[in-house]
Amino acid sequence: MNDMSNDSYVTDDGRTIGPTVMEMKNITLRFGGVKAITDISFDIREGEIRAIIGPNGAGKSSMLNVISGFYVPQEGEVWYKGAKRPPMRPYQVAQQGIARTFQNIALFEGMSVLDNVMTGRLRQMNSGLFAQAIWKGKAEKEEVENRAFVEKIIDFLEIQSIRKTPVGRLPYGLKKRVELARALAAEPSILLLDEPMAGMNVEEKEDMSRFILDMNDEFGTTIALIEHDMGVVMDLSDRVVVMDYGKKIGDGTPDDVRNNQAVIDAYLGVAHD
Amino acid sequence: MPESLLYGTEVVLNGLMAGVLYALVALGFVLIYKASGIFNYAQGVMALFAALTLVGIMEGQIPFAHLINAALGTEIHHFGWHVPALLAILLTMAIMVLLAWAVQKFVFRHLVNQEPIILFMATIGLAYFLEGFGDLMWGSDIKKLDVGLPQGGSFWIEENTQWLGMGNENFYGFFLDRLDLVATVIAAILVVALVLFSQYTKQGRAMRAVADDHQAALSVGISLNFIWVMVWSVAGFVALVAGIMWGAKSGVQFSLSLIALKALPVLMLGGFTSIPGAIVGGLIIGVGEKLFEFTIGPLVGGATENWFAYVLALIFLVFRPQGLFGEKIIERV
Amino acid sequence: MFRKKLTHSLKQAPLEVEESFRRFWLAPAGFREEDNLAQSSQATGGLSSIPALLQRNATQYATKDAYREKEFGIWQTWTWADTEKEIEALALGLINLGVQEGDFIAVIGRNRPYFYWSMVAAQSVGAVPVPVYNDSASEEMEYILGHCGAKYAIVEDQEQVDKIIDIQDSLKQFEHMIYIDPRGLRKYDHHQLHEYSHIQAQGRAARDEWITDLEARRGKLTYDSICVMLYTSGTTGKPKGVVLSNRNVIESAKNSSEFDNLGAGEEILAYLPMAWVGDFIFSIGQAYWTGFCVNCPESAETMMTDLREIGPTYYFAPPRVFETQLTNVMIRMEDAGKLKRRMFLHFMEHAKKVGGDILDGKPVSFMDRLKYKIGDFLVYGPLKDTLGFGRVRVGYTAGEAIGPEIFEFYRSLGINLKQLYGQTEATVFITAQPDGEVRADTVGVPSPDVEIKIGDNGEIYYRSPGVFVEYFNNPESTASTKDAEGWVATGDAGFFEEGSGHLRIIDRAKDVGKMADGSMFAPKYVENKLKFYPDILEAVLFGNGKDNCVAFINIDLTAVGNWAERNNIPYASYQELAGHPQVLQSIQGHVEKVNESVAVDPMLAGCQIHRFLVLHKELDADDGEMTRTRKVRRAIVADKFKDLVDALYGGASAVSTETEVTYEDGRKGSISATLTLCDARVVPVASKVAAE
Repeated sequence: MNDMSNDSYVTDDGRTIGPTVMEMKNITLRFGGVKAITDISFDIREGEIRAIIGPNGAGKSSMLNVISGFYVPQEGEVWYKGAKRPPMRPYQVAQQGIARTFQNIALFEGMSVLDNVMTGRLRQMNSGLFAQAIWKGKAEKEEVENRAFVEKIIDFLEIQSIRKTPVGRLPYGLKKRVELARALAAEPSILLLDEPMAGMNVEEKEDMSRFILDMNDEFGTTIALIEHDMGVVMDLSDRVVVMDYGKKIGDGTPDDVRNNQAVIDAYLGVAHD
Repeated sequence: MPESLLYGTEVVLNGLMAGVLYALVALGFVLIYKASGIFNYAQGVMALFAALTLVGIMEGQIPFAHLINAALGTEIHHFGWHVPALLAILLTMAIMVLLAWAVQKFVFRHLVNQEPIILFMATIGLAYFLEGFGDLMWGSDIKKLDVGLPQGGSFWIEENTQWLGMGNENFYGFFLDRLDLVATVIAAILVVALVLFSQYTKQGRAMRAVADDHQAALSVGISLNFIWVMVWSVAGFVALVAGIMWGAKSGVQFSLSLIALKALPVLMLGGFTSIPGAIVGGLIIGVGEKLFEFTIGPLVGGATENWFAYVLALIFLVFRPQGLFGEKIIERV
Repeated sequence: MFRKKLTHSLKQAPLEVEESFRRFWLAPAGFREEDNLAQSSQATGGLSSIPALLQRNATQYATKDAYREKEFGIWQTWTWADTEKEIEALALGLINLGVQEGDFIAVIGRNRPYFYWSMVAAQSVGAVPVPVYNDSASEEMEYILGHCGAKYAIVEDQEQVDKIIDIQDSLKQFEHMIYIDPRGLRKYDHHQLHEYSHIQAQGRAARDEWITDLEARRGKLTYDSICVMLYTSGTTGKPKGVVLSNRNVIESAKNSSEFDNLGAGEEILAYLPMAWVGDFIFSIGQAYWTGFCVNCPESAETMMTDLREIGPTYYFAPPRVFETQLTNVMIRMEDAGKLKRRMFLHFMEHAKKVGGDILDGKPVSFMDRLKYKIGDFLVYGPLKDTLGFGRVRVGYTAGEAIGPEIFEFYRSLGINLKQLYGQTEATVFITAQPDGEVRADTVGVPSPDVEIKIGDNGEIYYRSPGVFVEYFNNPESTASTKDAEGWVATGDAGFFEEGSGHLRIIDRAKDVGKMADGSMFAPKYVENKLKFYPDILEAVLFGNGKDNCVAFINIDLTAVGNWAERNNIPYASYQELAGHPQVLQSIQGHVEKVNESVAVDPMLAGCQIHRFLVLHKELDADDGEMTRTRKVRRAIVADKFKDLVDALYGGASAVSTETEVTYEDGRKGSISATLTLCDARVVPVASKVAAE
């Protein structure tokens, strides 16, 4: 199930899945006396689409918050790019190249779509305040390059028409897309998506699925996503972790997971003892 | 030009220059309020503290001299040197950054996600602490601040505008204070620099991001602490500039901290979240109160400058609560 | 009013026979009227094809901008010299791929320079470009590609590639597909699939090998070679392929450019479907004839912003676009501050009074002129800039009647908006309004070189150098539309106005019916009156052969939605808003007003609306209820909503119904609703009362 080998392999549809980029080892997270996550281990490999699924309250969101540094687990280790990650603040995790979106959308509502997506590039901007002040040399080149990259993302996600619109005025579906654009603009090593399809209609879900697949295909982005819509997840992902009551009850390809008795029980609501 | 129009013009010009100073103080409020949602009651005291520190450094005062003398029975007051103005300003700025860091580290870091009223109370506490701390550090006597800014009326302007009177014997040309002129220029440069900073630099973009949404800012790798220290430092810098201008004009003393109260109506007029609002608000109040005093003042016995700004702000609150440039809050169904 | 005839035959002739028919028999003997125009062919100085015009432009206007497209937020530019190189590379690539003279190449995508180049490249190699609506359903595409026997298709992206792969099995002759945007297509089987830039690169690499062939093919093009084939989106039946020759296109482009003094300095925004004859004439015919610049928007959604940025000097839009823009202006003014709104209303009132006269060069008093100038500075100028009309010198609208108030609004702002009347079969121009003779209720005088006659039944016939060659593989339809003398039946009823000599259109000839009492039934006339209300998007009138008329109405979601928001009326969907009592009440008011105005004309008084309902769904091209150009398919609507029509005549006060809908991705679903049927007050007509 949990393939620890670091050899690359090629999927049926011709994508290359690389070695492990992140590994969670025996993570346990408690809020006071309540255990949100109990002793969970899994890995994420380069170039794959990795899903974490489970019924409501299974601890999926907590897991995502652990990966992105919003929660610090009491036990267990997070390994990233071959090194153990010390406890970090969320912004440090982001600076390491782990970008994320939020289930409830966290955007800069007062700023334009373009400015929002540009903030995704902060990590790539290194020129000093003085260089920026005189707008010469490196600073100018950097701004132009970043803008060009951002335009590529805007084109990719088909949000050209709202480039200058303040985000606060956009409908929900478009906001989700802008948030995705911002995360993608950071050229993340891992992109974490927290329920990317939540609150969407069938058409919007299809669009979003297409964007996720294209992103993975076009930019080679490694994606870890949480979703409770089983159908969507099974179509999208290479491997799936299934959680229930804070424990891992399954891990493998969508087919493996679909035939896993524990998973079937969890989704059908068989009583726990 | 008729006489009344000439005087009126002069009043307006003077009002504009006073307005720039109001705007400068208001700007300090706006910066912090936008970035952290804190209404910084201590902004005025920060200006006082900055001015006190600047004078202290320039005069070579020994900090906490009273305390030291009281404790050790000594009688020391001065190091006996004078520091050049420019160096002293730089040193003061360094202290303001230190202060920003300390405020963040010891106060607001512990108050993240608290109610606005709690944050406001904390700034009141900060104001009183800073006032006492300033007194303790530099003494409470009135000081004269002279960083080499020109003083007195500008004869050049007076001479070169006399022709406007067209033979009117009572008109000697416009009387404009040179300090006010310099202050206007400096404030204008500062405002432009701040706008450019917040719109076009990486740090500025990060600052606007934090002002908008903390969680989103974290997720793109912005350190909230860093931005808050930065914002408080910038506010400290604005306070220093305001402190220098007012201090040079009317001496460094406790009443300097009261200029913060003048900034309140400016904010109500311009909106708490708008940099252009602070500028336009400042100018309207500056010109408005001078013009009101000039025209209506004599009819009601003068001293209208004390209350005009507040009445104007009150009227605004009734008709346009979000201010001229503030964001309109509409609850959509 | 780009309408087509309805008669139609599917009889297929083998391609070779068709070819020889056209080349050796039809051209010398069949086109007498065109032979008479041989002089004008000389006048074009040997420029007898679009590729020939391209060559001229590449020399004459080498450094002038020919195409612009906004991509990645920046306007990219190609000069005429660049354009010639791009097209040559593609043409060589097409030869390299195996394209033969006479092959049909489908071109499917939104307005982008690449597609215009594709069409000219196809012409250069002797092939025939067939632009297809890029939002066509698969069946429609399958029919068109099969009917013309297209061997190649040049398409935009994955969406279209997928669509064609789906239908490929039924297209036996189909060989290769070329796409422009490679996103998502990397893993596709590339045996018959090619990237546009690769084809161009191969063409450049093989230049030495194919350039003589290309020059020879280009040299063979004559005034009578096929320039383009355009499928008309018939209101009923299968689409027909209208074959247009170089003569049709170049003569039309030349005449119309001279009519409006179009020059190389014009800027246009190409945003209307490329499969529509208008876009072909504006963006290729006139652009190549005069050498002006064609600007392509970044995407369909950014069109308004791009319009503002480009500021075209020559602009065409169907009435619907002008209507939408006006609605948006009005909405913004409702939301604007009091001062701004009062200023707007005040100056618009003045513009209404004198704006049109100033534009037409009629005498206007100095004070009124001065006030208009102030208004121009304060209101009209900024408004025009916002709308993107700041530089428009010649503007046209056509396709259906435009509301007089909408028309006057734009003209009073100083925008030279005019009307024309045209058809695909006429290569657009039949009539057009000359500067200074512009009115909302006529469509102008015959365009240069166009002859018009009115038939006994009121139907309009025309004859011109723009008259199409034939309907492809459809001699029956060709014969029933175009007679031996070259007169073409428009299918529209109309008359020339006494005095002015302007043509007025009443309705489609076949749609003008009779009520049970024998009086005239002119549905379009009434529908247009209804549609002039901003909150009514669409209306369909029924009553042919009946005692009285009933109507379906679609509300305009933008306008009514904004009204609902301002009045704190919550709604979740079109359906909910459409059933709101206050909405119904206000629509009823409009209907009754229209009845009053219809009653004024005794001939048409029978067309007053006795009962109406507001439909629970918007009429949609995806559901087949409208054409792609958004014209109502009356018969289909009548059939699909038969239960509703019956209920209206039945006298019930409410009716429940269920309707099938098609989503954008092609899936089907259904919505059910209970509709309120409303009675409207009608004005009693004297003659009718007497008859009863």
